[in-house]
Amino acid sequence: MSRWLHVLREAGIGLGRNLLMTVAVVLSVAVSLTLFGAALLLSRQVDLVAGEWQGRIEVSIFLCDDARCPAITPEQQQELRQELEAEPVVAEVFFESKQEAYDRFVEQFEDQPALVETISPDTLPASFRVKLTDPERFAVISDRFSAFPGVEEIVDQREFLEGFLGLANTIQTGALWVAVIQLVAGAVLIANTIRVAAFARREQTSVMKLVGASNWYIRLPFVLEGMFEGLAGAGIATGLLYLGYPFARDALAGQVSFVPIIGQDQVFSVALVLAAVGLGIAALSSVLSLQRSLDV
Amino acid sequence: MITLKNVTKTYKRGEVGEVVALDDVSLEVAKGEFVFIVGPSGSGKSTLMKLLTREQRPDGGEIYVAGKNLNTLRSWKVPHLRRSIGYVFQDFKLLPNKTVFENVSFALEVIGQGGGRIDRRVPEVLELVGLEEKHEAMPHELSGGQQQRVSIARAFVNHPRLMLCDEPTGNLDPQTSVGIMKLLDRINRTGTTVVMSTHDQQIVDTMRRRVIELEKGNVVRDQSRGVYGYAD
Repeated sequence: MSRWLHVLREAGIGLGRNLLMTVAVVLSVAVSLTLFGAALLLSRQVDLVAGEWQGRIEVSIFLCDDARCPAITPEQQQELRQELEAEPVVAEVFFESKQEAYDRFVEQFEDQPALVETISPDTLPASFRVKLTDPERFAVISDRFSAFPGVEEIVDQREFLEGFLGLANTIQTGALWVAVIQLVAGAVLIANTIRVAAFARREQTSVMKLVGASNWYIRLPFVLEGMFEGLAGAGIATGLLYLGYPFARDALAGQVSFVPIIGQDQVFSVALVLAAVGLGIAALSSVLSLQRSLDV
Repeated sequence: MITLKNVTKTYKRGEVGEVVALDDVSLEVAKGEFVFIVGPSGSGKSTLMKLLTREQRPDGGEIYVAGKNLNTLRSWKVPHLRRSIGYVFQDFKLLPNKTVFENVSFALEVIGQGGGRIDRRVPEVLELVGLEEKHEAMPHELSGGQQQRVSIARAFVNHPRLMLCDEPTGNLDPQTSVGIMKLLDRINRTGTTVVMSTHDQQIVDTMRRRVIELEKGNVVRDQSRGVYGYAD
């Protein structure tokens, strides 16, 4: 029992001894883990969007209603459908009525009631959703049907999706690299504080070695000290991500409408990863640092 | 208790090349002996001490301490070796922020000895070294001789079978040194083997114990009931 008290007490002494350094280390780790966590959250966001859309990359042919252009007549609609089905590149054709479009929208954005409130069953146009045998050959459909009477607009969702995913990937890669560099800096800082701590207690350590204290018993306080710094950094990073989430969500919603956004609870599942990374890196760099400074 | 067979230790010193600290040294110390290691600075005394606690490893030869072959001893078992050795330094190496009692109990704590053993053993050993009154004192409040007594108490508290004393009287005046030697003598008479390196001619000559003299890494003399040096 007293051994554990000793280990904890020593770790605490180490942290308190050089408070400024501890603060610097914790903040540095926090910054790197915040970036790392942001990259992780972004990748979840991308997965969410991709998963939502991947299954039905399709061409949407929005139909006119009175609000935008003279409404399509039932005959024109019938003719359009037959022409579409006759195209060799078309695999399937669905019709989505205004009500269905609304229902799907409501379901897709149930997390964002504010957004749902802005539309009514009448807002969204009816459309033909067309699956292509080869999604690359969008041009065939676009060329052939954009001038079709009653067609308001033809949208290739793949293009939109790829644009979004491309941007997200760039941001994510950038954030990950900055995070990795920061993380290396954090690890070096931890290694350095542990070395300073080991140096400050070198007399005590040499006495412990000579009276036969085991290696783990000598090292554990230092490693715990480093791990505390890693964990504190992860905690601050989680707090920053949690506080920053609403801003990021609003920014994203402002940039691209009609995209589902991950919930704030995702921050907590990312927090577990951050804690693991923070603890792992801290433990690793402390142990490596002690390998040299506490050589037994 | 201690056996050295053809032990060699050299240090690499930059451009100078190699410095031979111990050159093919063989010696044996029986259980319960009191041995002085004498010789000028750089003769290999400190190296010998460091080899015995496996702070360093020899380049050649075999070393046995307390029945253990130090060449084949696994590094995770080194702490167990050191628990059977009490080590006394020339500069005491007391922890300045701990009281006398804590300095001694520390040696038991860090090897996982519980409170009961500490409460019993620490006062006992402080009484042995004559400092039972001073257990609350901080090291800086003590004289050099008293500090060395605390350091001996710390080395002896776990009842080691071997005490290694590296010039324990090197920082003390002659009067005080006599007291320390009496203490080490008492400890030796409890059956503990004592190996002490020293420069102190007067002490060696008075004690009349076995003397091993090193010079440039060689044993040049091994004499029972010896003196510090030949008439010089």
